[in-house]
Amino acid sequence: MVYDTPRFLPAGDRYLLVEFGNHMTLEVNFMAHGLAAIVAAERPRGVIETAPAFASLLVHYEPEETSFAAVTDALGRLVAELGPSDQLELSSRLFCLPTAYLDPWSREAWERYCATIAPKTWDPELIVQHNGLADTAQLVRVHSGSEYWVAAIGWWPGVPFMLALDPRCKLSVPRYNPPRVWTRKGTVGLGGANTGIYPEDLPGGIQVFARIPVPIWDPAQRFDVFRDSICLLKPGDRVRFVPVTLEEFAEAERKVEEGSYAFNLVEYQKFSVPAYRAWVAGLDPAARF
Amino acid sequence: MLKVIKPGLETSVQDWPGRIGFANQGFPVSGPFDSWSFRLANLLVGNPPGTAGLEAQFLGPTLAFTDDRLIAVTGADMRPTLDGVPLPMWESVAVTAGQVLALGPARSGARAYLAVAGGIATPPMLGSRATFHKAGVGGLGGHALSEGAGLPLGPAPRPGAAPGRRVAPGARPPIGQGKRHEVEAVRGPNDDWIDDAGHATFYGTDWVLTGRSDRTGYRLQGPVLSFAGRARDKPVEHGAQPANIIDQGYPLGAVNLAGDTLIILVQDGPSMGGFINPWTVPYAVFWKLAQARPGDILRFREVGVEEAQALARDLGRKCTPAAIVT
Repeated sequence: MVYDTPRFLPAGDRYLLVEFGNHMTLEVNFMAHGLAAIVAAERPRGVIETAPAFASLLVHYEPEETSFAAVTDALGRLVAELGPSDQLELSSRLFCLPTAYLDPWSREAWERYCATIAPKTWDPELIVQHNGLADTAQLVRVHSGSEYWVAAIGWWPGVPFMLALDPRCKLSVPRYNPPRVWTRKGTVGLGGANTGIYPEDLPGGIQVFARIPVPIWDPAQRFDVFRDSICLLKPGDRVRFVPVTLEEFAEAERKVEEGSYAFNLVEYQKFSVPAYRAWVAGLDPAARF
Repeated sequence: MLKVIKPGLETSVQDWPGRIGFANQGFPVSGPFDSWSFRLANLLVGNPPGTAGLEAQFLGPTLAFTDDRLIAVTGADMRPTLDGVPLPMWESVAVTAGQVLALGPARSGARAYLAVAGGIATPPMLGSRATFHKAGVGGLGGHALSEGAGLPLGPAPRPGAAPGRRVAPGARPPIGQGKRHEVEAVRGPNDDWIDDAGHATFYGTDWVLTGRSDRTGYRLQGPVLSFAGRARDKPVEHGAQPANIIDQGYPLGAVNLAGDTLIILVQDGPSMGGFINPWTVPYAVFWKLAQARPGDILRFREVGVEEAQALARDLGRKCTPAAIVT
């Protein structure tokens, strides 16, 4: 699945794309994160920053300090130093986010769409149909049953593209076509195999079925977890969606408003790709929760 | 302080090189679209070349000064006046408190730049003052200038530069040379998704810049491009359309094939997405894009990475104090 040697693709005078594979798998994505981490640590001459996506890593570099040939050379050496993906160990924070599943706000987004653009099946029901689930209650059990890997962040700043780490919780569904013009801030949804969260009120195309009361986007940097950025999540973080009632949702929302909300964040773990692979090898992906 | 009497058409605070270090959270670099004109404006007034200044688009602002400052206006010709008297462009000019600078519609080109000695001192956000208004980040409260707003200025350099400094001949961008623009473009990153005929079409076409173009993307009107086998014979996760690819990072300058439409992704463009980028316009020639107007013709010239990087180094050499003559 992962290319034997990555492809270094030129992208103008100051960018290049390192492509690790032709498939969307966690293994390919781990390579992008591994290279991003070693680049940040070793800081090869002229490299400004990197950004991982599912199967590739975008590299921004300064042509007044280096050249395409020199950068690809340096990156090739770092890839070799990294070794195969099954030996990677990556820094990874874990966020537990209170989540109201089958909430009234994502339902409102769907209702608005039906009323103003085109009628469609209710989003949770569509996911149930596409994945052979019994009902929307099982969708909640399955979706909340896994940790999610933040494979990439982007399109709009702070939007996480997340993949289920537990193969028993892998779900997939087509996107809206045409897209929605409105989605409420904090809404959670699925498009393809990606789970996403809307940091702000935004248009979008993923099927929505849940909402979180806590910000993942804080331009005023009111909470300490936003001290380095105005986005909560970084690539390589993990997220767990913890089902809560609407009453608990409202209480968390109130604490966010008054600034007393405590983010549930674990920072002491590393994500071990070999340990993960060994665990996954013993699972039956057909065994849904 | 600079008081905004009329904001113009989306005039914004920008600094160069913009917002660096947050690409992995999806932030575009933003910053001035024509960084050549922008950097020269700063050098004229004695600022470091990246100091925050203003970018005016198509229709410039009217601004009142509350203190004495050295200023310079560069880029598109918006017929600047100071208290109604024509103000020379590409030259440092001393203004005094109470004077009013007015920029009109662009006579040629599209974007003009104002540098003020000491720079614009709006609060930086994520390491930059550059405005990314779609997400309300940077600049003046996250947005373009609005009527009645006040822009704080930084302390003027001491000793200050002198008025009457000019840009050396040949050191400034040739703006307003007609409606056809030859724009360099490098193959990649996804050039192997397009067949030979498609590449020939891309480099051999007079593309029309449409009115649906802004600092996010430049939409081009022209023929349909043909794909290589990889675009159709691919794993399902790439998506249904030939131009779909597994979501990937978008480089600044990517010539993005969004379905059938070519869009050049520029300063405030999306950081990633699921369409291919068969070509990339080097950042070094962005000034050409920044000064093109809807309806103008873009003709792409194929260059290799080495030539693109030579252009970048050449531009870097032009944007130094050596470009300024006294």
